[in-house]
Amino acid sequence: MTTVRIHETSRWFGNVVAVNDVTMEIGPGVTGLLGPNGAGKSTLINLMSGFLAPSSGTVELDGRAVWGDEQVYRRLGLVPEREELYDGLTGWTFVLANARLHRLPDPAAAARRSLETVEMVDAQDRPIRTYSKGMRQRVKMASALVHDPEVLLLDEPFNGMDPRQRLHMMELLTTLGDQGRTILFSSHILEEVEQVATRIEVMVAGRHAASGDFREIRRLMTQRPHQYRIRSADDRRLAAAVMAEPCVSAVELVTGRDGTTAVVVQATDFSAFVHALPVLASTQGIRLHEVLPTDESLESVFGYLVAR
Amino acid sequence: MTEQTRAGTVIHDIGYRHYDGPRLTTRQIERALFTETVRAAFGWGRSARSKVMPLLLLASTCLPALIICIVISVVPLVDEVPGGYPSYPFSVQVALAVFVGSQAPAVISKDLRFRVAPLYFSRPLSRTQYVRARYAGMAVALFVLIALPLTILVVGALLAELPWREQVTAYLTAMGGAALHALVLAGIGLLIAALTPRRGLGVAAIVTVLLVLSGLQATVTALAEEFGASTLADLGGLLSPFALVDGTLGVLGADDASIRAPGLDEGLGVLYPLLVVLVVAGCYALLVRRFRKVGIG
Amino acid sequence: MSPWDPTVARLTWHSVLGRRRALVLLLLPVALLALCALARALAALEGGDAEVSDALAVDLLAGFGLGVLMPLLGLIAGTGVIGPEIDEGSIVYLLTKPIDRFTIVLTKLGVAVAVVLLLGVLPVAASGLVLTGELDLVTAGFTVGALSGGLAYCALFLLLAVVTRHAVVVGLIYALVWESVVGQFVPGVQNLSAQQWSLATVVGVFGDDAERLELSAAVGPATGWVLLVVVAVGSTVYAGLRLRRLRLGAEV
Repeated sequence: MTTVRIHETSRWFGNVVAVNDVTMEIGPGVTGLLGPNGAGKSTLINLMSGFLAPSSGTVELDGRAVWGDEQVYRRLGLVPEREELYDGLTGWTFVLANARLHRLPDPAAAARRSLETVEMVDAQDRPIRTYSKGMRQRVKMASALVHDPEVLLLDEPFNGMDPRQRLHMMELLTTLGDQGRTILFSSHILEEVEQVATRIEVMVAGRHAASGDFREIRRLMTQRPHQYRIRSADDRRLAAAVMAEPCVSAVELVTGRDGTTAVVVQATDFSAFVHALPVLASTQGIRLHEVLPTDESLESVFGYLVAR
Repeated sequence: MTEQTRAGTVIHDIGYRHYDGPRLTTRQIERALFTETVRAAFGWGRSARSKVMPLLLLASTCLPALIICIVISVVPLVDEVPGGYPSYPFSVQVALAVFVGSQAPAVISKDLRFRVAPLYFSRPLSRTQYVRARYAGMAVALFVLIALPLTILVVGALLAELPWREQVTAYLTAMGGAALHALVLAGIGLLIAALTPRRGLGVAAIVTVLLVLSGLQATVTALAEEFGASTLADLGGLLSPFALVDGTLGVLGADDASIRAPGLDEGLGVLYPLLVVLVVAGCYALLVRRFRKVGIG
Repeated sequence: MSPWDPTVARLTWHSVLGRRRALVLLLLPVALLALCALARALAALEGGDAEVSDALAVDLLAGFGLGVLMPLLGLIAGTGVIGPEIDEGSIVYLLTKPIDRFTIVLTKLGVAVAVVLLLGVLPVAASGLVLTGELDLVTAGFTVGALSGGLAYCALFLLLAVVTRHAVVVGLIYALVWESVVGQFVPGVQNLSAQQWSLATVVGVFGDDAERLELSAAVGPATGWVLLVVVAVGSTVYAGLRLRRLRLGAEV
């Protein structure tokens, strides 16, 4: 049972704060590190893998500081985001070299086992240069698994993979998590995290926005107030009618720069509103031209979570 | 406006429009690429950091010219430009070599390293046109680097009221030399850069090749003179691009060339202009061949 | 901590000499040997005495061997063993291992020195043989000079590659502009030039013959040795320290 503990950690680069006072604990199982681009996920992974010193706070692996101690790599594997490998080598020689660098007692056996785990045995004798993106990702994975680490950190492992490769990687992560390893992977795509991770940690703008069970967070996310922008044949009448719905908390009539009007509706219950609106429009005989959710981006969802 | 299908699936028209209007011709694309190359060689349109090196090198080729101008206008006894115009590039060759070395990879290696080149070739632009635009752009950038100090020199000389006919003749000869230098150096630099797309390696390879050749040429010439081997001394200049162009000017009749080149009448002299043509054509052909190998995707 | 890791060495060797870059590296010793062969041939043509005069041999070896070959070779080998890996990010596979950073730096320095030995020091020794026709003082002196200078250049340029991504350009400016051009005009600069220090070690080997061979250096032999050792050891230690805190693509 291995735990990565981040305690009141901040990291800044000059004037920019990349990670802002984050405290989290990553335990056994698969944890997803979710956040929009630029949220500080990579910085956090770099902190956890000992490639960055925290500007303040501590990052520890079972009570031992990660920074400046190369012995942590006996227990930790890292799959970096960057694609570059030793292109001239074959998959086999690359993974074998990684096993030797770990000074394992039987490097060849370890390399073989690791390549089997990621199902790359068939292509192991081809130069890495000829590999597809998914194959590179798997070889990177094999190199990180070669010493059977308790902790595995993956930076954006699904980037650039096709759906089949993605599925394979997800299965692999699930298996590794079930073996009791501590797995953390970062992603900015909600659905990826949803399918693999049992726990998620959400980062937004360098801050720790949410953490816990995925379904719970999902519920919190859908139950927040939603905003819609509606254009219709008769905006004023529609606004009056919509306000009568119990799931609506605010209505505003706005005029755009081009003179067109619209109704901006704030709904407290997402599903109730989307069911009520069409019924209401048809009974009132108001033709709807356009219904646009205005704050559906991941950023705004996270922004809401953080602001609360 | 939305398109409705039978199954109730909707494709929303989110405003994409077809473009049926006039398009630029491939010539215009080529010209745009050419301008971009010239600008990029001086860091124009790139980050502030990328501007430091080329501008520093431009300054270091121009500074001696400025100093010479000040000297000839202050010291009344000087009645000619010390060193002369045509050999000016030869004396600032280190700066020129470092310029080619640092800028040719920036111009061409990045296209290969980041796999941008296939994007160019998926447009109507042909590979030959790509090479032509890059080559011409790099050559023009180098020409500016050499021509600017020469122009400073001639302006300074004319302001100091040196005999203008001599000055302008020498200046124009030197400008011809500058053009040759630009073509030869750009060709060699781009070719090496295209063969060494890895970062840092291209710089080292270009500067090493240019300066080792210069060093070789200087040593061979010195050796030949020491042993009085005149044929070897005449041919030594063929070894380095700088001496090659300088010698070509000498063969073609310029007075101030610093390399001892035999006159055209001696027969061997014809090797100089011949090799210039060969180097330029060869580099161009090899570049085209290199980029033919670049696949799409 | 062991000073050498065979796997790091193999990966490094592969990335330095694995590809076309080896050709560029070969160009340098071939140029030196060709020059020396030419000098020897010219001397043979001129008269019965087939040997090149000692003064000319010294000129050639100092000017081209120590002045051009060693700095450029040291630059390419020193930056080449680590620069591209840092740049491409593949160094992460070395750094995520329980290996001391100094082991990595020392191993890579070892590979760079091996390259310089093979393509620099050996050719310089061979050139000495070609020029003088015997294993004499000139050959011995310049072999020592090439070795001491090569070691210092490798260590210095390896550090440069760890510190900055523009190591090659900065190194070229040092080797070409600082040591050669600035050194010509500002004599004080020569006191701070690895080329002069390695010349000083040659002068040291020549001893009393240095004057006859018309070889001089900006600093004394002892000073030269001390400065070379200080630069080599200092650069290596600092490179190890910097590698410990190397930031990898730590974009915000």
